[in-house]
Amino acid sequence: MRRRLLSILCCPTCKGDLELQVSEETAEEILEGVLRCSGCRIDYPIHEGIPDLLPRGTVPE
Amino acid sequence: MNPDDQVYPEEADTRLLLAAALAEVHPDDRVLEVGTGSGTIAAALAAAGGVVATEINPHAASAARRLGVAVIRTDLVSGLCGLFTLVIFNPPYLPTAPEERIPDWMERALDGGPTGREVIGRFLHDAGRVLAPNGRILLLISSLTGETEMRNLLEAEGYVSEPVSSLTYEGETLTVLRLRRNLQD
Repeated sequence: MRRRLLSILCCPTCKGDLELQVSEETAEEILEGVLRCSGCRIDYPIHEGIPDLLPRGTVPE
Repeated sequence: MNPDDQVYPEEADTRLLLAAALAEVHPDDRVLEVGTGSGTIAAALAAAGGVVATEINPHAASAARRLGVAVIRTDLVSGLCGLFTLVIFNPPYLPTAPEERIPDWMERALDGGPTGREVIGRFLHDAGRVLAPNGRILLLISSLTGETEMRNLLEAEGYVSEPVSSLTYEGETLTVLRLRRNLQD
């Protein structure tokens, strides 16, 4: 996903903003990383360039 | 199993909606395709400007990405918060009884619940959140989803609609509707 896509993404559960953590990217786009909803304490993965915003369990404390 | 066997292919409904979308889109539209499937429509529209697509099926999302579509894996519009001026949706609309359900991704691309309107209803209920004030929705519906019931559903969710194209195919009439917010309410 391109970085600018972040502005239109939100947590599917609370609709809050997501915080981007990149682990692999090219000049054009992010390939691997995490979109974190700090409100819900949920990490949504970015895998093979596709952000996965399906509801899932919270990150353990 | 080949993952592409789990992706809804281009069919008559795809071509009908694609033609309507190409006639509808303006160069300055911000376009969202919901449930893009193989990505055919989103990829064709991307040539005209900025297009984002959602898809729940991981195999379809990968196929759409291979066509260069900016795809987000999410249910309908649930992980989106931006505003779009043109939203396009070819929904699962086949009336499907619970005992007829098969738990695979292809089935999910077709299954519209017992009335055929279950997914359309969920979409209409949430779409207003991502639709710009004067935005339009192109929604494909079928004679199988019930004319009166669809009209009532659209009205209840606050939309006015007009047909833009239709096609009768194997005894089923497919129609593309253009929806706008009902500003009279």
